[in-house]
Amino acid sequence: MLAAAVALGSALMLAVGCKPRRDPQRLIIGSRNRIDTVDPAGAYTFGAMQLLSAIGDPLYAITPDGRLEPRLATGLPRISDDGLRVQVDLRRGVQFHDGTAFDAAAMVFTLERFLAIGKLSYLLGDRVTAVRALGSHTIELRLKRPFGAMAQLLSAINLTPLSPSAYRHHRRRQWSDRFVGTGPYRLSFFTPQQQRLEPFARYWGRPAANRGLDLVALGNSTALFGALQSGEVDGLLSTSLELDHQAALQRQARRGQLRQATGPALEIGYLTLLSDQPPLNAVGLRRALALSLDRRRLVQRVSQGLNAPLRGLVPPVLPGGTPEPWPAYDPAAARRLYRRAGYCQGRRLPLELTFRSNIPSDRLFALTWQALLQRDLGDCVDLKVQGMESTTAYRQLGDGAFQLIILDWMGDFPDADNYLMPLLGCDQSQGDRCLKGSSAASGSFWTRPGLEAELRRSASAQGDSRVALLRRIQGQTAAATPYLPLWLVQPRIWVQTSVAQPRFDGSGRVLLQELHRP
Amino acid sequence: MSRSIRLLRYVLARLALAPVMLWLLASLVFLLLRLAPGDPVDALLGSRAPEAARAALRAQLGLDQPLWHQYGGYLLDLLQGDLGTSLTNQQPVRSVIGQTLPASLELGLVALLLAAVVGLAVGFSGIARAEGAVDLGARLFGIGTYALPPFWLAMLAQLVFAVWLGWLPVGGRFPPTLLPPVGSGFYLLDSLRSALFEGQWQNLSGTLRHLVLPACTLALLLSGIFANALRLNLRRAMASDYVEAARCRGLSERRLILRHALPNALLPVLTITGITVASLIGGALLIEVTFSWPGVAARLQEAIAQRDYPLVQGIVVVVATLVVAVTVVVDVLVAWLDPRLEF
Repeated sequence: MLAAAVALGSALMLAVGCKPRRDPQRLIIGSRNRIDTVDPAGAYTFGAMQLLSAIGDPLYAITPDGRLEPRLATGLPRISDDGLRVQVDLRRGVQFHDGTAFDAAAMVFTLERFLAIGKLSYLLGDRVTAVRALGSHTIELRLKRPFGAMAQLLSAINLTPLSPSAYRHHRRRQWSDRFVGTGPYRLSFFTPQQQRLEPFARYWGRPAANRGLDLVALGNSTALFGALQSGEVDGLLSTSLELDHQAALQRQARRGQLRQATGPALEIGYLTLLSDQPPLNAVGLRRALALSLDRRRLVQRVSQGLNAPLRGLVPPVLPGGTPEPWPAYDPAAARRLYRRAGYCQGRRLPLELTFRSNIPSDRLFALTWQALLQRDLGDCVDLKVQGMESTTAYRQLGDGAFQLIILDWMGDFPDADNYLMPLLGCDQSQGDRCLKGSSAASGSFWTRPGLEAELRRSASAQGDSRVALLRRIQGQTAAATPYLPLWLVQPRIWVQTSVAQPRFDGSGRVLLQELHRP
Repeated sequence: MSRSIRLLRYVLARLALAPVMLWLLASLVFLLLRLAPGDPVDALLGSRAPEAARAALRAQLGLDQPLWHQYGGYLLDLLQGDLGTSLTNQQPVRSVIGQTLPASLELGLVALLLAAVVGLAVGFSGIARAEGAVDLGARLFGIGTYALPPFWLAMLAQLVFAVWLGWLPVGGRFPPTLLPPVGSGFYLLDSLRSALFEGQWQNLSGTLRHLVLPACTLALLLSGIFANALRLNLRRAMASDYVEAARCRGLSERRLILRHALPNALLPVLTITGITVASLIGGALLIEVTFSWPGVAARLQEAIAQRDYPLVQGIVVVVATLVVAVTVVVDVLVAWLDPRLEF
């Protein structure tokens, strides 16, 4: 045993001195994103979407400046007069990684497969009844009802085309560790912790600027932070990185020790208020809470300024996201409303805020808001906080278990509809109470007569009329305050100074194919 | 009845009990998972998916079936050696375990080897002069390493050797710039083979570089157990009558220790080694998480968070089987080696 240990020890010592050589044009990007599946039908995490955006191509993409750009489509969708049929012309001369040609049949295969086995199949299934090929390079989608943001929906990377010949044995089941699509990279090696990407030589578009990428997932934020500091990775994605580490990296970037790029802020943090039961069934008290939220200070304390305060449910970068209709912090006005409801006169409003215990920023928010309320409105409100693991909390949301709970959301494609529908949609209601639908499932149970019809109208409308409708819906929701928007989370990447300035696309994903050392 | 027949009966009894134990454990895990609030659909879709989509996914995953139906199917599959399919990526559970278990075993065995050598050396070092400076140092080492919080020590090691000094990688099992060696899943063996037969020395170097920090950290934490166990048992043996009698017969101190006291003192250490191996198979969670070591403990933790029922059940059953096997082997070994034991 001693001999074995000595041999092992010697080998270990030798190994310490032997660092592997690296090709400077192959880049290593670190993140906390463990990827369980690379199949677009099963992928749902941010990390998987980021990977898919490098190895797949959507029909449309959102450019860094927010414009819609056809990628595998040749132009914007053609919509029939009744709005129920959408035709998309597809690019010719595109090849899959296995050498087969991309055409309408492949696109139909992909969309039908996603409808059949996609974990997020509701994205398409809620709106589309059938897909068919019209000729070799045109597809037609039949819709359940008119939908104005069809191109944005088709920018979802889950709908990236797959080679029918490669997936013939996986037509109705997932293929979690292989991918055969049309993107600028081929996936040459996959494990949940590590993915190797090689430039695709026959890519139809601009070729990758580097000689390949290695994406690695490390299990904790400290390890990732250390890996960038020691030069073990060339870049680091901010997803799931602790805010302390993000703030430290931002400071380093300001000092010129790293490069930092930020993407569009599409993730929102918000509070859900249980609006159908006392005490928060009183609109006055919900309004009072809205006025009791010092977002500027909370954002500073919780995220060290990394997040931006938010007073709307739709991110301001999207049409309909401005102006932000929720009121700003005003403790004097809040006190008046609390007093009108019979509080602040020796009686405190008891409230319980639930936070997800596995998300550090949630805990910090809960404790900070509790302290701020105690300081500014301590004679009116008695806020108690309790933590709960997120999966457990999600299960109980629809049961109306939480008076106040902090949650977050990022739409699967960047469109206002993707933020309002999941929070306000209601299939069955009774007055202002939603009995069945997204609003009930999300734990607020709030609706109002006519809201569902307005949401559907906004989904089918386009242009200025849609923006006006979105503003109206947001304004009325703000007046009723079933939710309290808190902050916007902006994705970031930090790279070594030897790497050129990175960029994000308009969907909040790093353009990995542009990364290179000048 | 001769001792060997009694030993055989003892072994058979232990083996007969193992399936019962495994069935109880498998049933308990099945029930506890379903009693826990939240299900895979909540974990997969979060809070926002429409109810219809949630119901469809629940049906797709078979979670809409009655509990007894799910339980019956699970036991039936288990009897046929089918551990099911992971709910998160539709991969066979057997294949997920096949990818992660070798990583845990490799880390655990290397750490155990290092811990045994260091711990036994430290435990042995104080025997020449009880309560002397060396003995005191050994005692402090034993208590200190045993009491160190694993997470803290692992992060400290990471910070010093990976971040500040830059000698070793912060985490992972293999350099991302190389392709892992193909073979048994035990990278140390696979890369040694590829180094010897294919000249791929960078694979071996990469494997060792990634193994050093987690293995040494884990070894340091475990070494205290060995040091204390050997130190105490050796002192007890040295104070026993048979050692005193041997001393009276004029045997040298060296011979007394090495030939008479040490073998007897090592028997309890063998039991401790068995227990440690058993606990390491699925228990080096903090080390695996800190060093991003893709082992079975870290995967189990993720599977629990994702409420991936088949994967959690599969990992628990496989790990439990290994633990039962190791404890049976160690018990039999001790019973065979120690003639004083009755069974």
